[in-house]
Amino acid sequence: MSTVGSGPTGDLLVWSMIIGIGAATFVIRLAPIALLAHLELPRWLKQALRYVPPAVMAAIIAPPLFFAGGEPTMSPDLPRVAAATLAALIAWRTRSTLWTVVVGMLALWGLQAVLG
Amino acid sequence: MRQVPNARSEFTTGARAFVPLSMSIIPFGVVCGAAASTAGMTPLQALAMSWVIFAGSAQIAATQLFAGGAPLLVILATGAIVNLRFLMYGASLAQHFRSLGRRWQMTIAYLLTDQAYALTVVHSTQHPDRQDHLHWFYLGLAGATWASWQLATIAGILLGSLVPPSWSLDFIVPLTFIAMVVPLLGDRAMSLAAAAGGLASVLLVLPLKLNLIGAALIGVAVGLSAEKLRVEA
Repeated sequence: MSTVGSGPTGDLLVWSMIIGIGAATFVIRLAPIALLAHLELPRWLKQALRYVPPAVMAAIIAPPLFFAGGEPTMSPDLPRVAAATLAALIAWRTRSTLWTVVVGMLALWGLQAVLG
Repeated sequence: MRQVPNARSEFTTGARAFVPLSMSIIPFGVVCGAAASTAGMTPLQALAMSWVIFAGSAQIAATQLFAGGAPLLVILATGAIVNLRFLMYGASLAQHFRSLGRRWQMTIAYLLTDQAYALTVVHSTQHPDRQDHLHWFYLGLAGATWASWQLATIAGILLGSLVPPSWSLDFIVPLTFIAMVVPLLGDRAMSLAAAAGGLASVLLVLPLKLNLIGAALIGVAVGLSAEKLRVEA
């Protein structure tokens, strides 16, 4: 038994991670299609699963706006927050990933140039 | 013999339905490849992520945790939680695909993505008369998605090593997710789930990089509570 926090490193860690997540994901994807001919997901679980995408996506979006350079700070990175806000407006209006990314990057570069 | 051309035309229709999606899937795949390669994975490992896992959000989450030095168990648990939503898609698709053979079901499962699920449901609702060949539509759509994802990953691996960090291309990751999450926010409970998840991911200081899991659970709890309050109100 390895203690939590040590475990494999380097190449072994990467391959364990790829194969482990890959296997878990395949089971998650296959189980309902293969088994649900006979059983139904409980209602509470279906309801809870609806909120996984917005919760997870927001949790992936937010930290890089505050932790520029990898160091946790409580002061938001202003160019990033402003560019992300503008990108969210573009996403709302256009529903286009391409425009969201293009406008967001241009805004970030512009703001970084201006604010130094 | 009528079945063969029908299957083929549904496959083509599915592949064609991918075209508008490519505008969101290809940039996301490039980002995944670039992120994995700049996090220190070899090109083979970065590419293996895309064909073994084949799920962008989990790939990005795992890459970020790996780069941050998280332990394996946390990376595995986070990847699995990010992908739990496929349970919901599978449960919904099961009614169409439960009578297919095991090989078809495994192929369908491996190729399952947010986009393949959403468009297959739309297609099935719009063409109730074509249910017999829905799996061929799905295969065309999801197969095109898979092939583009792999090519985009390779492009990202090649580009990621060329671009200097001062270009801040890491910012494409949150931008891609903004484009995916914003259309979900029409509903108040979904918005609250997103707000809670985002806030918690910044404020939570959890050991071992458990922040994403913690934030996801808080977001789901807040979304459910908001829904419950609205029903009772």
